[in-house]
Amino acid sequence: MNFKFQKKKITGILSILPENEISFEEEIDNYNFSKTQSMKLKLVMGYDKRRVVKEGTAASDLCIYGLNYLFDNGYLRKDEIDALVMVNQVPDHFMPATTHIIQGKLDLPQEMFCIDIPQACAGYPIGLQQAFMLLEQENIKKVVVLNAELLSLKTSPADRGSRPLTGDAAAITIVENDPNGKTIYSTADFDGRRADALIIPAGAGRMPSSAETAKLTTDSNGNTRSLDHMVMKGDGVFNFVLNEVPEMIERVLGLAGRSKEEVDYFMFHQPNRFVLKKLADKLEIPYDKMPYNIVELFGNSCSPTLAVNLTYNLSEELTRGKHLICLAGFGAGLSWSSMLMEMGNLDFCETIDYK
Amino acid sequence: MENFEQSIAEILEVETVNLEDELNAYESWDSLTVLSVIAFCDQEYKVALTAEEINNSKTINGLLELILSKQNA
Repeated sequence: MNFKFQKKKITGILSILPENEISFEEEIDNYNFSKTQSMKLKLVMGYDKRRVVKEGTAASDLCIYGLNYLFDNGYLRKDEIDALVMVNQVPDHFMPATTHIIQGKLDLPQEMFCIDIPQACAGYPIGLQQAFMLLEQENIKKVVVLNAELLSLKTSPADRGSRPLTGDAAAITIVENDPNGKTIYSTADFDGRRADALIIPAGAGRMPSSAETAKLTTDSNGNTRSLDHMVMKGDGVFNFVLNEVPEMIERVLGLAGRSKEEVDYFMFHQPNRFVLKKLADKLEIPYDKMPYNIVELFGNSCSPTLAVNLTYNLSEELTRGKHLICLAGFGAGLSWSSMLMEMGNLDFCETIDYK
Repeated sequence: MENFEQSIAEILEVETVNLEDELNAYESWDSLTVLSVIAFCDQEYKVALTAEEINNSKTINGLLELILSKQNA
């Protein structure tokens, strides 16, 4: 599905990283892999450090911390928020939605719109799309898009296919109308036929958590996990990314009538270094236009990781001047999304630690 | 296909390979190596292979036949 948005802009991005840092070496003994194999895994995939929450920290805590930072620094006022759009897969509770918890704890006005979208690694562009649509309403002038993910809570300590790459994070993106804004081109595609490529089998309506779903079993690759844990078909997801993402990027460029050379930065979701380099090779994009360093520094935090990529790597570029940026997310669903837009002169573009 | 054996040898971290060699007999054969084979086949031969198909192909010749059958499909 292709989208076009007129007269919209991003005015600020803040990433919030939990302070608890774990190194790949600390967990190496948990994996059914020799030291040599694990070091090769680290080198090829770009695993090193990752940030995860301490026990008891939930998605709303990271968001509230970030929002208070924006209030305290004069970047945002409580009374000007017309909508909270949250993208998240590991909420505080099944009921009520996490945006409502945030609205309540921060004592935000009742007259606002709150919605939670359960999307994963494709969720950053999808959250922006929903915010742009809300801005078509005359009562909505400013939308706060929240991306928060705590998938470290759902990975097995003995699953080298998901554990060493998973980090936690949150991000806040402010979206507003812009009378002078250039057309924004965007896409979102979905394939539920491949829903089992990335799935947490138990814990919700289909299979409530029980003693049975918590039992650990070991698969043919030597990875141990339970039905309560996230499971990824690594080869299936890899083929999905190599097949669908280049086509999507060509399509969104085609919609805008732009060439790859005109794009200043390709800011993609950060699954791991291996996949990102293969994508850059296939798309014939130079590595310096497509950062791939977020997994090794902070871990892959699902939908917030694209914001972390922007705030960590382009903080200066995006607060001064304007750049043509191509965003892309891809992951569980399966879903994949993109956005080609002019970005820049942001009021803030920062990465902070949650304390 | 002339560089096939050379490229597979590089992925398996050995000097040379024989077509009849069993894939899982190599010391370097693990899930990460399978991913490298998938990436190589996508890049060089424009075919998408699953980990299961690669493991089921047993030998280097079996892998070659798998790639050819996918290309002709």
